[in-house]
Order: sequence, then C-alpha cells, then structure tokens
Amino acid sequence: MVKKPAGETSPEITRRDFMSLATVGGAALGTGFVLAQSQAAAALPQASKTAGHAASPEGWANAFHPAATIPLYPPRQAPKAGEKIHEFDFELGVSVHEIVPGIKIHAFTYNKSYPGPEIRVPEGDWVLVNFTNRTSEFHTIHWHGIVLANEMDGVPNGTQWGVGRDQTFKYLFRAQPAGTHFYHCHNMTNLHVQAGMFGALVIEPKEDLIQRVFPHKREYTLLLSEVDTVMVEKQMEEMLRMMSVMDKMNESPKAMREMNGQMMGWFTNKRAFLDAVKSGYIPPYVASNIGRVSSPKFNFFMINGKSYPMTDELRIRSGENIRIRLVGAGAMTHFMHLHGHDFWHVAQDGTPLLSPVRLNTIPVYPGSTSDIIVQGTNPGMWHFHDHSDLASTNNGLFPGGMMTMLMYEDAAEHGVKVPEIVQVNS
Amino acid sequence: MRRFSNQISISLVTFCLSVLGASYAYGAQAQPVPIPEDQSINPQINITGVGVGTAGFEKSNEVPSGKGKLDFNDSALQVGGAERLFENGAVGSFGLGWLTTDDSTRGTGNQFFLHQAFVDYQSETFEVLIGRSDNPTAHLVDFPTLRGDDLITLTNPMNPFSNGKNVEEHRYSNVASLTTNQHLKYFENIHAQHLINSVDPNADVGMNSFGITFQYLGEPGLESFELFPSWGLGFERITENSKSSSGLNEFYFGGTMSLNSSVVNHLELGFQDILSWGSDLNSLSSATDSFEADSNSVAASVRHLHSPFGRPAYQLALTTAYKNYSKVSDANSLGVALTGVKRLGHGFDVVAQYESQWRTAALAAVQSPGLGLEQKAEFGFAFNFDATFNDHIAPRRSLLNQRHEYISN
Repeated sequence: MVKKPAGETSPEITRRDFMSLATVGGAALGTGFVLAQSQAAAALPQASKTAGHAASPEGWANAFHPAATIPLYPPRQAPKAGEKIHEFDFELGVSVHEIVPGIKIHAFTYNKSYPGPEIRVPEGDWVLVNFTNRTSEFHTIHWHGIVLANEMDGVPNGTQWGVGRDQTFKYLFRAQPAGTHFYHCHNMTNLHVQAGMFGALVIEPKEDLIQRVFPHKREYTLLLSEVDTVMVEKQMEEMLRMMSVMDKMNESPKAMREMNGQMMGWFTNKRAFLDAVKSGYIPPYVASNIGRVSSPKFNFFMINGKSYPMTDELRIRSGENIRIRLVGAGAMTHFMHLHGHDFWHVAQDGTPLLSPVRLNTIPVYPGSTSDIIVQGTNPGMWHFHDHSDLASTNNGLFPGGMMTMLMYEDAAEHGVKVPEIVQVNS
Repeated sequence: MRRFSNQISISLVTFCLSVLGASYAYGAQAQPVPIPEDQSINPQINITGVGVGTAGFEKSNEVPSGKGKLDFNDSALQVGGAERLFENGAVGSFGLGWLTTDDSTRGTGNQFFLHQAFVDYQSETFEVLIGRSDNPTAHLVDFPTLRGDDLITLTNPMNPFSNGKNVEEHRYSNVASLTTNQHLKYFENIHAQHLINSVDPNADVGMNSFGITFQYLGEPGLESFELFPSWGLGFERITENSKSSSGLNEFYFGGTMSLNSSVVNHLELGFQDILSWGSDLNSLSSATDSFEADSNSVAASVRHLHSPFGRPAYQLALTTAYKNYSKVSDANSLGVALTGVKRLGHGFDVVAQYESQWRTAALAAVQSPGLGLEQKAEFGFAFNFDATFNDHIAPRRSLLNQRHEYISN
C-alpha cells in the first residue's frame, strides 16, 4: 500500500482557512477599521490603545490550527509546465567590504554584495538559484525557513557536497511558506556568515493579511548581524591557505594521493578516526591546542552589513504605516528598540501571529525573523537600535553599531527641528 | 539637534578626560615623548621568544681540549608594539629585543646582545625601518641549522669591523632602510648601515655601509608548490674598513627551491653565494682580516619536513658551505651541519645537531687557533612562542592581501 504524502492534503485545509480569513479581512476593511494613511492615531481602535495587544479580533487570523505547518505544496514535487520559475545567478567571490569608513574586511560576497541580494518572489512560484563558487573554499546555500526537498537544503556533507571552486549547484525549490526568511552558507557557518554569506528571502503571500490590516506602501528589510573583524581576517586567511593547498594538490596526481579528509578533520567513521589517532593524528581539541582558537569577540554590529552612522535610515510620514522585516542573521540576539513609539509585532519566522503584540522592544533571535509595523504617530527623528548596549558601539565606542533612525519626512511641518541629524544620516 | 549636542558634549568630556588621563599617567611612560599619547588607545603588543638549551660535546675555539658543554646562546626575547595609523592603511610599530651570546655561556662579558631596537612605518607599498635590526644582507636565506649563528662565517656576509668575539655583529646592525614592493611579492630594499665596530670601540658611529637588495617571496603557505618560492640578490658597498683602505664590495644571491610538491614530505634546497672583493689583504693577521679579505662563499642545504596530516612532526636538514680567499693562500674552509628536530608540541621541539668546520692553516690561525677542525655534537630542547595581545593588525603579506584588495587590518 502506498501512503499518500501528508503534504498532499494540506492545500485543501490551507485554502479553506485562507478563504475564511479573506472573508473576515474583507469585513474589516469594510468597516474602515484599519489605520488610515492620514489619520493614524485617530484610527487606532480603542482596544489596542488600552490593552496593548490584540489589534483586531475581526480582522486577524486568531484561530489555532494544528495542520497549519503542513506544506501548501508537496516539497518533493517537480515544476510542472506553465509554472513560474524565477531564476537567479549567484556568484560567490572574495571582495572587500567596508562596514564604516576606515573599517574594511575581506568578505565572501554573493554577487559582490554584503549581505547578498534580496530574493523576493510570490508564494508558490519556483525559485532556481544557480550558485557558482569562485573561491577556493567549499560553500553551500541553506534556505532558512523554507519547506523544500531535502536535497536542496544546503547542508554540506549532509544533503549535498560542498560546492567547490568553479562548480555550480542549482538550487530549485518552490517558494513556501510565505513570509520573511533568509538564506546563508551552512559550511563553517560561524565564519562564513560573519564574512557576508547571508541575505533576505521574502516570499510574498497571495493574500497579505498584514497588508490588509495595516496598509503600507513602504517596507524595509533589516538583516541584523555582527562580526569579529580580527577573527574573520585570520580565519579567512587560514581557510584560503588550506584550500589553496588543496587546489595545488588537485593539480598533481602525486600530491592528490596525500590528500584526504583527515587533513581537514573529516573521517568516514569512528574507526577511521581512532586509527588516525594511533597513526599520529592530533585532534584539534586536545590540550596541546588550547589557546589557539578563542570565541568570537564581536566588535562591529551591523544592519544590512553597515554600522551606524553608515546604516540606512527608515523613512516614514505622519499617518503612514511602514513594515520592517527584522532578520536575525548572526549569532547574537538583538533587542531592537524604537524610541517614541510602540509598534506591532505582526509576524514571526514568516507567519502572522495569532494576535499582534504591542511592543517597543523586540528580541530578534539568531535564525529567526520578526515583522513589525510602525505607525507614523509621532513626528521626529527617532532612534531604532539594539538596546543591548554593547551592540550600539563600533569597536567598543558609542555611538555606532546596530543603530539607525526612524525619520519623519514631514517632521519640519510638525515643528520638529533636526536638520543636523538629517545631514549626518543622509 | 539635542541628541547631537549631547554627543558633542560627551566627546569633549571624553577628550578632556583623555588629556587629563595622559597627564596623570605620564609618569608611567618609559621615556618622555614629544606629544603625550592618548592612554586609552592600546596598541597591539607582541612578545616573541626563542629558548635553546643543549648539552653535548665540543672541541672548538671555545673548548680547545674537547669537553662536554652546556649551551644556551642564541636564546632571544623580543617585545613589540604596533598601531594602525590615521591614513593610508598604514601601521606603525617598534621592536625591542635581546639575545644571549657566546659570552653568556662563559658567564662574563656581554651576556646579552641588543639585536632589535627599531621603529617601523609600513604601508601597502613601502616600509621604512630605522634602528638596530637585522643586517639587510644577512637573511636572504636562513639555513636550517639549530642556531642562527651556526656556520656563520660561511653563510653570512661578514662585518669587517668585528673583532670576532661576538658573531651577532655580523647578523645585526644599525640600519635605516626603505623597502618598496609590488603585489607584496617583489621587494626592493635600499639601506644605509652602521656596521658595529668592535675593533675600535672609540671609532665613530657614522654610516659605513650602503646597499640594495631585491627579493622575491612567493605566496605564504604554498612554498611546496612553487619551484623557487624565495630568491634574491644584493649588492653592498662598505665605504671604509678597519684598515682604512678604499672600501669593500659584496655581491650575494640565493634562494630556496622546492624539490617535492608535497605537503606531507616537503623537500627543499637552499642555496647562496657571497662574493666579496676590494680588499688589499693578501695575508691574515687577525679574525677581522678574515672578515675583510676578498673571498667567495657558497652554501647549500637540503631540508626535509615531514608533516603527517598536514602538521609538522620532524625535520631533518643537512647544511654545507665552503669558502675560499682569492688573495690569501692556504685559507679555505668547509663546514657541515646535520640537524634534526622533532616536534613535541606547539613551539616545543627536541633538537640534535652535529656541526663541524674545517679550516686550512692560515685561516685556522686567526679563527680557531690550534684547531684545523672544530666539531660539536649537541642534544637538547628548543622552545619558541609568539604571543599577541590586543590583536587587531593582521600580517601584511597575507594571501588575502596578495590575491585580493589590500587592507591594513
């Protein structure tokens, strides 16, 4: 008996739920409940002004459904004729990235961009990424949060071999689930992500619940990460040397005979490892190696690869809603705090919350994404920064780091005088 | 506006505190400096050390009758500081170091020799060094002997102002040098030196030697895969000498050749020739004369480094050198060193070496009186370390800097 894949039942469930949501959302729109573009504060429901959460019982998907995690499309399905495929070419190289003037690092960059280019596709369409590695190190791309075929998950020595120099790996998957996601290299992740191998992946839902309840025309994706510039430079150099040696050994049949995974600390099984130890292999973790490697000491904290004051500002106008997609791309939790405002936490890991939560500080965990809606209710120039104060520094000195400004374009019209700050940030 | 004003205020306070702090801490400085520095800026600090301790049998100029000997000369300790500079990705640094001499084994005389005391400016394309440091002519090829001064009269250009008691006078000098480079692979050096004068301690300390060198250094870490990973040549004009003759000339070239493209079994040939001319001497009456007289030295070494799993385990090396004097009859010398090193841990090795140097009568009379053949067999340990504190300046000649855009950090 052939079992029917669980995923094949999901579209019906999800579609049914979706229809009900659409009906409710339509009702919400009809009552004029949502925040108007020009009268934000006045349009806020009384309940949200006082209760601190629960934006709209009528307009929000507030029902728990145990089948919600079942994929909308079977992950192992292949593209069918007529289905839309969005193709991207990603070429990885080593280039120099400037975090702030005077601070540069050698970085692994997709298409010479730190972080990598944002991929934005409609839900259900196909994504084809032709990933070509032009460096001597092995790399992959892991599609974080995407429900896809196992072979496309981008785990080296797990779901695929690492992509070597001048090799191309074609990642093909259907864009699901909808929401804010990201991608990153899964080989030596600690180093490679610090070195720039990450980027945003936004899957636009066919019907955007958040857009319906909080209409917005502008949105910002902020990839939060941190770097130990000294560690990156050292370890990239070490990796480059090691892999350059491997490249050279590949050119010589005699040298190739010397090359094996043991030189990189890879063993086929426990017995092979023990045999190597008997033959003189010294594992890197033993006492004689203590002191060689230390944990990262992050000294630059970045939004989209830049530290303050080189971060891009967030622009808003009075009465406007903006959506901010926060991505925890690094290794630390960042506590993003907005001055002068509360905001709505509307989605986590791509999925709308059962009930939006009113906050002024949101923790963004490593590997997670959080979508927030900021409502233009208080004209001025407002800090938006990691409230873990270490991360508001550059090389330990304040101000800097993971900080940007929420800037009202109409601040002057409301009597706010902050021209100098505008100049600094622009 | 208010926020920005606050920043300015904080900056002013910080500045004032810095100045005050500098004033308060001024007494802690080693020496007064023209502009007191901001004490809150910590440089990168490097401490490096080499310890060599051996026991063995020696029959040499120092132990003419042949005896067991304990030896710890050529152990060194050096401290350095480095800081990134304001512009152009430059780095400023200094170094200060001493090493033990042959006298330290004796227990009298100069126990330590100041071999490093320099200040250095370094950018992507050039480097300027002023102070006591390596004699630019002396380290074109570092032969794989146990100590840097083993077989030194055959493998290094000689200092004609040395009285022969301290061999470090051949390896180190007071030097001002400018080194330019292309792609961090091709280095051109022009320098002026004061070669240390131990013949006449009252002699002036003016510059007495000038030279140029060219050196090629291949990609770091990939030496096994390049046929000639390092090579170079140079010319030195010593404008005067201890005998006040018309000056001396030295031409030298050398390098290394990879004999086996292997990471596990690295096999390398070292080679060097030093040609010296311009002296009027046709007889030797002192060790100093033997450093000045026209001569030609050739040296070669074979080094085998075994690195199972890519980690160095042991090294065997044979170094041989021959020198003859063109104007002095019966003055030739041949030296051999067989050296073994086994790595016991990071930076800690057990070492063994047999070294002998044969001299004909005229040369033996001034360099090793009464001994035509000097021999030494020793066994011991060597320890070396390189510790970096406040690490924030990466090596300049890195693969990343060579293959990609240069950055200073």
